[in-house]
Amino acid sequence: MSRAGRHPNDIAGAAPSPLTKDGTMTATTPIPFRRLLLVEARKLVDTRSGKIITMVMLALVVASIAARGAVVGPKSQTLVGTAGIALGTLLPVLAILTMTGEWTHRTALTTFVLEPRRHRVLAAKSLPPLLAAVALSLFAMLVAVPITAVVAVVRTIPADWGVQPIWLLGWTGVNVLVAAQGLALGALLLNAPAAIVISLSTPVLWAVVGRLGSVGAGLAEWLDLNTTCAPLVSGDMTWSEGARLAASAAFWIVLPMAAGLVRVLRKEVT
Amino acid sequence: MIEFNHVSKIYGTVTALDDVSFTVGAGSVTGFLGPNGAGKSTALRILVGLARPSSGSATVLGLPYAEMAGPALRVGTLLDAGARHPGRTGREVLTLGAMTLGLPRTRVGEVLDLVGLTERESRRTVGGYSLGMRQRLGIAHALLGGPEVLVLDEPANGLDPQGIHWMRRLLRDLADAGCAVLLSSHLLHEVEQVADRIVMIGRGRVLAQGTVDELSRGRGLEETFLELTAHEDRRSTGAGAFPGTDAGRGAA
Repeated sequence: MSRAGRHPNDIAGAAPSPLTKDGTMTATTPIPFRRLLLVEARKLVDTRSGKIITMVMLALVVASIAARGAVVGPKSQTLVGTAGIALGTLLPVLAILTMTGEWTHRTALTTFVLEPRRHRVLAAKSLPPLLAAVALSLFAMLVAVPITAVVAVVRTIPADWGVQPIWLLGWTGVNVLVAAQGLALGALLLNAPAAIVISLSTPVLWAVVGRLGSVGAGLAEWLDLNTTCAPLVSGDMTWSEGARLAASAAFWIVLPMAAGLVRVLRKEVT
Repeated sequence: MIEFNHVSKIYGTVTALDDVSFTVGAGSVTGFLGPNGAGKSTALRILVGLARPSSGSATVLGLPYAEMAGPALRVGTLLDAGARHPGRTGREVLTLGAMTLGLPRTRVGEVLDLVGLTERESRRTVGGYSLGMRQRLGIAHALLGGPEVLVLDEPANGLDPQGIHWMRRLLRDLADAGCAVLLSSHLLHEVEQVADRIVMIGRGRVLAQGTVDELSRGRGLEETFLELTAHEDRRSTGAGAFPGTDAGRGAA
């Protein structure tokens, strides 16, 4: 009867430690970081919700580029930029879910027993969303090419292939920063709904703050990541613009990430 | 192989654990018995580095768990069978564990066989599992690395009588092969059936420890258990107030 499990006599035989693939059958060798990275990347897509969010992101990139193409015509760089709306909204969500998922489902109980050095797990969790930001940016560029060509043919107007490499680089950088902000908020709050609400409502909030006299405008100028990111795309960043970007990145990424790291390292897992 | 050394844990004004000391030796199944809220789970979380003791220390194989480099290869742990992502399949849960530990994928099939989860069940998402199936999955996960030490929190919860019978033989065989097993439970009869040594805990304190025979003192384990847990508030002296309750201390 299968429900009873294997006959106990066989269990003793199966009990001795199995050999690891790379022969590192020892509890004195730390788990290689590459392995943690692979596992955390896999956790992004091995559940139905993970698969759905990935598919939605891919579909939205294609749909937004196609829709914009139909409206503004075959301008490749403009079309790529359109994907930024979808990525700017969903990349932080993906990053937040990565950071908070283990606490929502209490799988931290398993993860931190497998690797008690929690900072390594956090590092392994941080990289996949950042890499996904780069990969999805490249995907948007790839998708924009055939759509630009098709729109040009359909509308019978010449395609505008003018693309500034520095713009593409800056645009990819913005997407990475947005994902990093999601990671930091997720690590700090360890609560997906709260982090997602904050992440999605900040643009509205800054629009309000920016109108609150000179103090509000000053704050928005220095701390609103959306505003300070803009010069990245234009490709000619001045020193003061660089300082503002650094200040807002410190405020939205470095500080919450540092506080979140301390919180996760100290938190009692229940 | 497991050693609690004067472990105390204080949350604000609440003392969850008060000077807990006991050991679990190789080749034995030790039952960690106490009513709900006695501090069993807190003690086990401290043992595997998920919580820090306020004072004292807990070690596995001579080291604090969190200081071992790859602890899960030598120490198998199941703390809460319910703590799984409901959208992940049982097989995927084990695959993630095997990947983390660097074990070949074939190990996943082996541990599924060990705990009696079928191929078909393993491909279903954990959200649809019964508690008994989750316990089996959790035990499979704990066995992945072929551990020398097993730490199980309430593993018999939700198992049917057949399941409890199966687990008893599994743990017995693992212990006979040299494994040190520590399992917690609030159910006396479960522990009595599985364990050869028992550590009784109530309100964060070790009330008695020893072999099942020693603790029964000729009148049954239940009597001792009820007496100790009922009187613990009024007791002013240590565990020695009950003759024989300390007989097994240090025997492991």
